[in-house]
Amino acid sequence: MKIYPITAVSVLALALSACSSEQAGSATDAESLLTDDWSVIQEAAQGQEVNMYMWGGNDNINTYLDKWVAPRMKEQHGIELTRVPMNDAQDIINQLLDEKTAGKSDGSMDIIWINGENFKAAKDNDLLWGDFTGQLPNFNDYIDADAPEVSQDFGEPVEGLEAPWGKAQFVFVHDESKHETPPKSMAELADWVQEHPGQFTYPAPPDFTGSAFVRQVLYETTGGHEQYQQPAAEIEDLEQRLEPMWQYLNSIEPYLWREGETYPESLAKQDQLFASGEIGMTMSYDPALAASEVLKGRFPESTRTYLLDGGTLANTHFLSIPFNASDKAGALVAINELMSPEAQTAKLSPENWGDLTALELEKLSPEQQQAMNEVNLGEATLSIEELEQNRLPELSSDYIDIIEKGWTEHVAKE
Amino acid sequence: MWRKSKPYLLLLPAAGTIILLFFGGIFDGLLKSFGYFPAIGETQLTLAAYDRLLHSGSFWESMALTLRIAALSSLLSAVIGALLAVGLFFLTDSMKKATPKAWYRLFQLPLTIPHLVAGYIIVLLFMQSGFVSRLFVAFGWIDDITDFPVLVNDPFGWGIILTYAWKEAPFVALMLYPVLSRIQGSWREVSRVFGAGNWQFVREVVVPVMIPAWVIATFIVFVFTFSAFEVPYLLGVTYPSVLPVYSYQLYTSGTLADRPEALAVNMILAAFTILLGLVAYYFSKRWNVLKGWS
Repeated sequence: MKIYPITAVSVLALALSACSSEQAGSATDAESLLTDDWSVIQEAAQGQEVNMYMWGGNDNINTYLDKWVAPRMKEQHGIELTRVPMNDAQDIINQLLDEKTAGKSDGSMDIIWINGENFKAAKDNDLLWGDFTGQLPNFNDYIDADAPEVSQDFGEPVEGLEAPWGKAQFVFVHDESKHETPPKSMAELADWVQEHPGQFTYPAPPDFTGSAFVRQVLYETTGGHEQYQQPAAEIEDLEQRLEPMWQYLNSIEPYLWREGETYPESLAKQDQLFASGEIGMTMSYDPALAASEVLKGRFPESTRTYLLDGGTLANTHFLSIPFNASDKAGALVAINELMSPEAQTAKLSPENWGDLTALELEKLSPEQQQAMNEVNLGEATLSIEELEQNRLPELSSDYIDIIEKGWTEHVAKE
Repeated sequence: MWRKSKPYLLLLPAAGTIILLFFGGIFDGLLKSFGYFPAIGETQLTLAAYDRLLHSGSFWESMALTLRIAALSSLLSAVIGALLAVGLFFLTDSMKKATPKAWYRLFQLPLTIPHLVAGYIIVLLFMQSGFVSRLFVAFGWIDDITDFPVLVNDPFGWGIILTYAWKEAPFVALMLYPVLSRIQGSWREVSRVFGAGNWQFVREVVVPVMIPAWVIATFIVFVFTFSAFEVPYLLGVTYPSVLPVYSYQLYTSGTLADRPEALAVNMILAAFTILLGLVAYYFSKRWNVLKGWS
């Protein structure tokens, strides 16, 4: 009972001090954060309340942030980290746009978790704060800033506007006890689908995973990814180049689940079909998803993941700070902490999340490397080496829009 | 003065919030459907989105599907609901007090279940790998689960219609039952005196009494199913999709350029709903459903 008034007073004092510091020209303060020493930033971050807006659809990710990250943030940096769940990263952009329209300068979001498509929209509309990654010690120590998967996000130059948080890679998921030799190329997949009618399908784009599957088809049926490294508008015969992809997708359609009359509207639905045995294969842009589904008992124990012989799509996902974040110093410190080897190692475990690390393994100390290698990824997950050796770069986001629209026209309507 | 205005003043916070958020949202959507979006540098008002929409085949296919699903669901739930209400009425008539009450409670039960959950229950029950299909296999009525008819994610929309029939029929029944329960016991006796059987009593007394409330209830169900999102999203097919889902697909397509069209779909839905609401209101006034009869 005695503690209560003291906490109340200190909370009040904190709130007052926060107010007064903000009134003293928050704009200039924010600008100087981009050049200040790290110790100054850490001091400014003390006692700040950082709101992290992110997709909230996965229990493991939520638990990792609430139970693992938040307490450490409080203990080590005096930062109150609050996770705000959103349905879709698109909603974050919408809300930021609304805040910008309303001229709100002390925004509700301090950290946002976005992906390539949304990053481009956010960047094009000046919704992000500034070139901050150079300020983060963990970024400078453990990240290769020139590596293509860090300097670009779905083909869009990052320019320090967002910091890498983790990596994901496209994998196929099958039940080893049912099909011993899964198809490892698109040609093999076409044969497999014909031999097992009704056993394969993919989520309808614009579902994130379904859209990635279509891009995977694009790479294999139209002669590799290299040709798409320039902006879509610069390829004159793009329509014709995409044609083999639509032909392929339409050629397998009669043998798909429900004869391609309809497609699962989300990955969750597709996973449910797999879990109930109605289809024999599913897919994921999260290499450890199958392992954690096995842990939960939804997928059979004999579930395994595999890659295509030609490699699969991989991307990096990023954390960013909105233009109007109220607690930018706290956001910087929190993002730096999320990129620490400890936090990244904990994140790697399928019990927490199973997300691949964003850090450059060679830059870690031997002990840190060992800690990361010792994480048990689960039997269903491929080794990090195998994943890393078979990565293909993502397309830039202008293609994704063309492909998703084209899919409705060429495949769904046919 | 205070006494008179007090209720209005007390309502003000709630009403103000609703007006601000609801009408503010509609107004904002209307502006954006005209292409007005200053945050991305668009400040001109145009009808381009409506023009594109009205010339696109997907929109009209969605419209046709939406109308068909809404019409069939509301008709089906109206018929089932009316039968339930009449059945409940005769139960009350012929039984002791406790039993009809229990039945009444049973019909209230589906009303407490959210539509999303109801849709998901239909998925789990009637999918080809669902509970019913597996039951049929277990009893040997069908050889394989793929022999089970496709009721979920079918192009016609049976799954959606089934969900609405199950969810809205009790709603219709509970709208009608209070009206029916005002038919006095003596009327039944009078009708018997004049030699009317059960069937004639229903035709000459029960149905005429019920019709106004029944039409209004059907209208409500129609308008609701016309603009509902979650059940068709869960149980529909990829293409064509009903209008609310079509709007969602446009809105979340990744580019901001499609937004005016997405919001134009919503505006058309809203306009249509308001129109239907006005029609329903006109009939309800005319038939005095709201005042009841005595």
